[in-house]
Amino acid sequence: MKKFFGNKLAILVFTLPTLIIFSLMVFYPITQVFYKSLFKWNGLGSGSFIAFDNFLRLFDDKLFFLSNKNGFIFAAIITVFQLLMATVLAIAVSTLKMKGRNFFRIAYFIPVVLSVTVVCQLWLSIYNSDYGLLNRFFETIGLDYRQNWLADRKHAIYAIAIVNAWQWMGYQFALILAGIKSIPTSFYEAAQIDGATPVQAHMKITMPLLKETYKFCLLISVTGGIKAFTEMFIMTSGGPGTSSYTLTYMMYSSAFRSNEFGYGLAAAAILVLECLMAILVINFVFKSEPTVGGE
Amino acid sequence: MRPKLKKIKLSSWFFKGFLWFYAFISLYPLVWMVLYSFKNNDEIFVSNPYGLPKVFRFENYINAWSQYNVPKYFMNSLIVATATVVITITLAMMFSYATSRMRWKGRNFVRTYVALGMFIPVQAVLIPVTRMVQTLGLSGSHWALIIPYTAFNLSFSTLVFYGFFVGLPIELEEAACIDGANIFQTFFKVIVPTVTPAIATLSIFTFLNAWNEFILANVLVLDQNLKTLPLGILFFQGQFTTDWGAMGATMVIASIPTVFVYTLFSNQVEKAITVGGAVKG
Amino acid sequence: MKKLTALLLIFTLLLFSVVGCSSDNSKTEETTAAAVTTAETQPESTEAEMVTLKIYAQYSDDDTKIPYDYAVVELAKDYPNVKLELDIQAQDDGVKLQTYAATGNLPDIFQVGLSQIETFKESGNIMILDDAAKSTGFLDRAVPSASNIIYNEDGHIYAFPYAGNELVLWYYNKALFEQYNVKVPETYEELLTAINTFNENDIIPMSIFAKEKWITTAMYDVLATRFDSDGIAKLDAGKGKASDEAYAKAAETLNELVKAGMFADGATNTNYDQAASLFYEGKAAMFLNGQWEIQAATDKLGENADWMWYPVMPGYENNKFALSGGGAPGGYAVNPKSEHKELAAEVAAYISEKYCEAKYMYRGNPILAVKVNESIKPETPFPAMMEKLDNELSNITSTTKFAWGLGNPLFKVAIEDQSQFLMTEDYTPAEFIEELDKVIERMNQ
Repeated sequence: MKKFFGNKLAILVFTLPTLIIFSLMVFYPITQVFYKSLFKWNGLGSGSFIAFDNFLRLFDDKLFFLSNKNGFIFAAIITVFQLLMATVLAIAVSTLKMKGRNFFRIAYFIPVVLSVTVVCQLWLSIYNSDYGLLNRFFETIGLDYRQNWLADRKHAIYAIAIVNAWQWMGYQFALILAGIKSIPTSFYEAAQIDGATPVQAHMKITMPLLKETYKFCLLISVTGGIKAFTEMFIMTSGGPGTSSYTLTYMMYSSAFRSNEFGYGLAAAAILVLECLMAILVINFVFKSEPTVGGE
Repeated sequence: MRPKLKKIKLSSWFFKGFLWFYAFISLYPLVWMVLYSFKNNDEIFVSNPYGLPKVFRFENYINAWSQYNVPKYFMNSLIVATATVVITITLAMMFSYATSRMRWKGRNFVRTYVALGMFIPVQAVLIPVTRMVQTLGLSGSHWALIIPYTAFNLSFSTLVFYGFFVGLPIELEEAACIDGANIFQTFFKVIVPTVTPAIATLSIFTFLNAWNEFILANVLVLDQNLKTLPLGILFFQGQFTTDWGAMGATMVIASIPTVFVYTLFSNQVEKAITVGGAVKG
Repeated sequence: MKKLTALLLIFTLLLFSVVGCSSDNSKTEETTAAAVTTAETQPESTEAEMVTLKIYAQYSDDDTKIPYDYAVVELAKDYPNVKLELDIQAQDDGVKLQTYAATGNLPDIFQVGLSQIETFKESGNIMILDDAAKSTGFLDRAVPSASNIIYNEDGHIYAFPYAGNELVLWYYNKALFEQYNVKVPETYEELLTAINTFNENDIIPMSIFAKEKWITTAMYDVLATRFDSDGIAKLDAGKGKASDEAYAKAAETLNELVKAGMFADGATNTNYDQAASLFYEGKAAMFLNGQWEIQAATDKLGENADWMWYPVMPGYENNKFALSGGGAPGGYAVNPKSEHKELAAEVAAYISEKYCEAKYMYRGNPILAVKVNESIKPETPFPAMMEKLDNELSNITSTTKFAWGLGNPLFKVAIEDQSQFLMTEDYTPAEFIEELDKVIERMNQ
């Protein structure tokens, strides 16, 4: 068995193509990000080396802290919403004996299929202060809770985060569902014989067995939140003013709007580091026990 | 298939209501998008954002269709997305198998290394990626998109496959080994079939990512004959005004086929998985 | 219901007119399409003398499609051996062009704005067109007042302008002013009165598509010109600070106006279509946009549409005729590394002129960079507002810059973001001044 799993040729054949493509197309560009973040550079020409000045400037820039704060709010909202909803819906779809289970399975995934542009347009319309569904809803139920959802410096980021959380929930839903399906039915049958309620059965079987699934679901949400961009680009352009900037938006704005590429890349470099920290923390948290399926 | 759950009935009315409600708000955008594509700017933004269009403006579709070569863009998208899926899934599976089940030094490092790709905002690397595509001589062919798309999808796919492989019982390989299969045979004949749900799910994800991708396509496609569907919106989005109806039509043209394919495909997959699961169980 | 049917009628009519207009253009599309296909299918040997030039241009609405299509048809007559291969400009803050430049993929001819000219010229990505401007006769036909958009500050020509100087106009609906017996405001005091009266009657005083940051910049600039006729152009040039009296007052004034209810709720998330519709349906009394809105305003409101001089601040009466907007160098530029750069320069000059002709004929725009041949007549007579503007041009004492005409990209981003911020109620002028001054300080380092 050791020989079987230590087959050098197989390891090479299995990993080399991925490593080559990844190194050329992703890793090399990342090194460029870090390298060029040490330059005063407008994106063209060679720029001038200024060591860590861009980073020092970042730590003196209010916008950088605002962007970070927004990224964390964004990540927190989408993580909580997506993991919770995806779990509940995936368990429901995989266990409930109800008609049209397939219908639900497909329906919950549909927002993922649509392009972000469509989804953002829809939510722009829902959030509209004047005729938007949301304000109308509050009016109908008699609550005086009209808001300028996206035109408010304090709430815009929350409103945008909901859009992302809602659209990409289907991703996690599909992953968790695929995970549940790969758990042998016998596991649940055994639990039932032991007299466990369905909820207990899931808490005891599904959750631990899907530890890896949850790990990368968490990873997608957290990193997806920290590097959020498209929604603010389409819905608010980082506004009102700068209130819905995220690190990626800040990077974009510095690099392409103000032609300060080096500064923008410094923000991107911090972003990569933050994501790296996130993966380390998540790995650490999940490492506490060995995986169940391993033996 | 799943165990019968009797006690859930207690709150089942409320719960079912919730499931229906969530299904409704998930499907609504689809309907909204189709209605939207038959409206003009005034209806979309002011007079009638949610209802049926007053007049069905088929000219939005005619407009979209006449501005750019829809069948050609469609074919390009199809080629790029399909190739991306095939290559990504194959490579990611092999890679994850090697890092999850085989024993060698540095496998954890290599695994984390490839996961790095999830962290990088694509806007930050547009220029180096474009340069690399040129250096490798990929410009002017579909590979100009396929290779970068594959690279950017690998991180996520390898991570997911890792999660699936790591949980498999070791008896699978032991049995195969005893039967005299080598590692390649074992991998393709024994291991791959066990992760069908993951393959199906990731195929769909990767396909959608490649199908809807705009930012890289916008700068990497230099040849008019290689443009993909998301680039179609460029014909309607102006500096000051946008023809939202025609843009809606463009988006319907791009999305509806994927919705159909997804629906059909996922039902097929569902059947296959169920059958496979039954055999396995 | 009546309103709706009327509106629908207007829209169908408009649609027909658009279809009617474009019917002669459809030929263009066919020919260009045909040209592309022949280029693809025919072996190169028979087409040896044909030159294909790549062009990066806006092509997304009537204001960009009509001139482009017209220029292509004309080009086929005068340069039968030149084909254009169009790459459509994306609304992406120049990401695509910047990436093209950084990776050596610049098309032969491309549209640029001022800040890109500055970046490109440092790195040798833009050709100096001084000679081509002379040899093609572009300069002979250029209008003297357009020299600010032809010559860069360093005295060279980097791009052929295809439009003219443009201005920010303060439009208003005469009928609404009459209906509520409001005087068209000439002073700040009168403006406040107007705002109050309209608000009492549930009319939005001014609709503005403040989701776009260039128009919020323009709004701030309009107010800045009330105190200093140079407006934001002075800050852009690094000759002033946001804490200077004029600019601080402008910020306070904008804040006051926002608090007085001059704009609708959620204005910073209102797009052009929404804002324009409010104005054209009589729900808003005033509207801010460039002079290019004249045609649409005339179509929708007829004689009720007009523009006014911006209201004057007490003590600054001299600035009455200072306008916001104006021009900056920009237009069709040429890639110096192009295989056919001389030809490309010639063609760039040619199509820029043809754009001007098309704008004159089909877009009701007489304020252009080059003088249009006298044999060319506009398709329909110029709208009254345009005649008025044309007549009043000589009264204008100064102009400033549009956001895209600002030379310092750092300042551009700051004023765009901060002016939009100032349009929300809880953003204070003090914050605005502080943020802006920080950037200005950085600019001057």
